Amino acid sequence: MLNTSYVGRTLPATEPHVVTAEEIGGFAAALGTKSDGAVASATFLVSHTLPAADRLIDDPDFGLDFTRVLHREQRFAHVRPVRAGDAISCLVHVESIKTVAGNDVLTTRTEVTVDGEPVSTVWTTLFVRGDA
Amino acid sequence: MARYDDLSVGAEVFDVAFTVTRADLVAYADASGDQNPIHQDDAAAQAAGLPGVIAHGMYTMGLAARAVTEWAGDASIEDYTARFAKPVVVPADGGAEVRVAGAVRKLLGDGAVEVNLTVTCGGEKVLAPARATVRVG
Repeated sequence: MLNTSYVGRTLPATEPHVVTAEEIGGFAAALGTKSDGAVASATFLVSHTLPAADRLIDDPDFGLDFTRVLHREQRFAHVRPVRAGDAISCLVHVESIKTVAGNDVLTTRTEVTVDGEPVSTVWTTLFVRGDA
Repeated sequence: MARYDDLSVGAEVFDVAFTVTRADLVAYADASGDQNPIHQDDAAAQAAGLPGVIAHGMYTMGLAARAVTEWAGDASIEDYTARFAKPVVVPADGGAEVRVAGAVRKLLGDGAVEVNLTVTCGGEKVLAPARATVRVG
């Protein structure tokens, strides 16, 4: 079971990461999408927001066992596309934890910024299988 | 290239199919950093209660975004949401076929279109609901 006292908590913002054209192009190529490496695909940020949330998995007090996790829902609200050269930082909030029939449903909201300016909000909902 | 003035609510605007192979999942794992073994190894998938290797939900969501952007032209997706309703099981031999169909759900003005996506594998919905808002010319 997840530690519900974490709801409302915010993890420290990640150190800015400068997005490269190679990274954008590699992500696009893996999906068969044409790319000149300048503008990132709609789902590109997941390659940064999920690792930013790994700190929750690494925190034994939170109780998140990644071998029991299935990705349930995902949303991206982009203010603008990410571009090569952007120094992105991720601020992860634990938005909600709902317990349904012994399983937990965890939603995080990650604010992605460049130089303090909002670029995207990314919501991830994980289904965490209980012991039953 | 989609033109806003040509669109009407309910109109089906694209229907495309993609073949997903295990090699694609390895490439996506490397590009995205998601190396969860349930997307590469049958034994790991079965230990997690799955029938076999499944695609990353984000791989399927990424393919559906590709279908939207290929239809819309170079416009970028502004809002994109999906629920992973069923896993896409990817056999070692031949892979799986994912179909992505798009229909106009709302015309939001100023070129913005909300597209409802029907994403299926073997006739079953794998993303449901799935919606993208894109600004077209």
